[in-house]
Amino acid sequence: MWETNTKLRYNKTMQKIAIKVENLKKYFKVYKKEPGLWGSIKSLWKRNYETVKAVDDVSFEITEGEIVGFIGQNGAGKTTTLKMLSGLLYPTQGQSTVLGFNPWDRKPKFQKQFALVMGQKNQLWWDLPAIESFHLNKAIYEIPDKKFDETLAKLAKILDVEDILQIQVRKLSLGQRMKCEIIAALLHNPKVLFLDEPTIGLDVVMQKILRDFIKQYNKEFGATIILTSHYMGDVKELCERVIIIDNGHKIYDGKLADIINKYARNKILSLTLENGVTKNELSKFGTVKSFEDGRTTLVVPRKDATKIAAKILNQFKVHDLNIEEVPIETVIREIFGNKNK
Amino acid sequence: MSLTVWTVIFTSSNDAFGYSRESMITYIFLIAFLQSIIISSSLNGLASRIYSGEISNHLLKPLNIFALFAVQEIADKFKNTFFLVLETLFLFLIFKPIILFPDYKIFLIFIAWAFGGLIMNFIISLLFGSLGFWSPQVWGPQFLFFMILEFTAGKLFPLDILPKILQKIIYLTPFPYLSFLQIQLFLERLSADEIIKHSIVMIFWIITLGLITKIIWKKGLRSFESVGR
Repeated sequence: MWETNTKLRYNKTMQKIAIKVENLKKYFKVYKKEPGLWGSIKSLWKRNYETVKAVDDVSFEITEGEIVGFIGQNGAGKTTTLKMLSGLLYPTQGQSTVLGFNPWDRKPKFQKQFALVMGQKNQLWWDLPAIESFHLNKAIYEIPDKKFDETLAKLAKILDVEDILQIQVRKLSLGQRMKCEIIAALLHNPKVLFLDEPTIGLDVVMQKILRDFIKQYNKEFGATIILTSHYMGDVKELCERVIIIDNGHKIYDGKLADIINKYARNKILSLTLENGVTKNELSKFGTVKSFEDGRTTLVVPRKDATKIAAKILNQFKVHDLNIEEVPIETVIREIFGNKNK
Repeated sequence: MSLTVWTVIFTSSNDAFGYSRESMITYIFLIAFLQSIIISSSLNGLASRIYSGEISNHLLKPLNIFALFAVQEIADKFKNTFFLVLETLFLFLIFKPIILFPDYKIFLIFIAWAFGGLIMNFIISLLFGSLGFWSPQVWGPQFLFFMILEFTAGKLFPLDILPKILQKIIYLTPFPYLSFLQIQLFLERLSADEIIKHSIVMIFWIITLGLITKIIWKKGLRSFESVGR
């Protein structure tokens, strides 16, 4: 269906590798200017340089059809990595291959097979209706008429934008604009999608629509997707595998579910107890997180969670008990917190 | 404005610097017309577009960015020419210059040279634009360029009224090839030898500037930071 470069490699389990990154580095030279007027004058003859290691030796492989989440704090290197994989940035060191191509070569054959969508960054012409930008992309990507009409009809229907395609983009709401931006990026049926914060600034309804859409696109076309997002909701719903990047380094690469198993040290017991039980009594079993009106949450070490629950059930009259995982957001925050120490 | 100044100069004498009144008026008309086509550029904002990361979208697509700029430039020139023709007609009616067309062979070379000037200006604009890879402010050097152009491309006055030594220096630069020499050709003030010589030099400039621009752009794209998220 799509043209592939014959240099596509296979991994150990004979799955086709879509994206391969080896020891990728991107360092930026940044000038540090002292504040104020004197600082500006001084910088005319002496400038302080600082090397910012945006991406510092990152390696990974992604097989065809995977949806992988990139998680990291702001400035961790996620967007820089995506830009290198798109051929926008020239790597300081290391190599990357996408669909067998070197992104930096910017071969048209390669460019026709991927799309980079950055939330809040527009490619649509502001003063023209979206449909005009679509036709422009049709010409640029050399999409045949029939294919273009089919794809556009399908995408417009799923995203429910059939009525607004003839309206100037600047008159559309943010949600409508994002939908049109996504369509513009997908008209050429890219095999690889780089989504950089696609749901940023959108309301919860729109977020769900976009997530469902991405899932559907992946299922229907087998597209390989890298998604960066600060919303754990996006990651939880879409990504089985996550790569955590911190300060340019990859600190985790594996299943999202395994993060809990590997990093979560605690579990949460939510209890509804009989009246008369004091906070002090409960604090013998674990850290009391909340305590009001007979409802308590206790934070206990993971390995002891069931034992402690049993003890509580024996000792007190329990109306309701739940053993829950610590939210993934907390776990990740803790991972970063530990790294910062 | 030049027209008014020169009209005043010519009220006192019929001949100035080797130009008759009619030739001078023709000269001013033609150079203004030609320069409006050759020197105007849609790429004046290119440097800030590069610096702001605006060109990132273009770099992602299977699109030759230079071809894109060239087409935008052509579209811009068509637009300008349209308004220019209206303006010129208006001035024509006021000053009523007598434009003598040269021999058709000369006229063909004139058209070729005009295109040469167009291409040169396009390349120079790309060169200025490429400064945007390293700095947000290019108005400084660009302003300087336009100032120099005002004098050396022959807009305010023909170059041959300047002292010989100054002329020699200016002829070492590409500036005279942006419109002045085209007009000289039109007014049939160039010998056959000079025509050949200048044609060769023009081609040399186009190739040299083209290569320099290509190298600088290559370097620039490598260090491109694609900012703005």
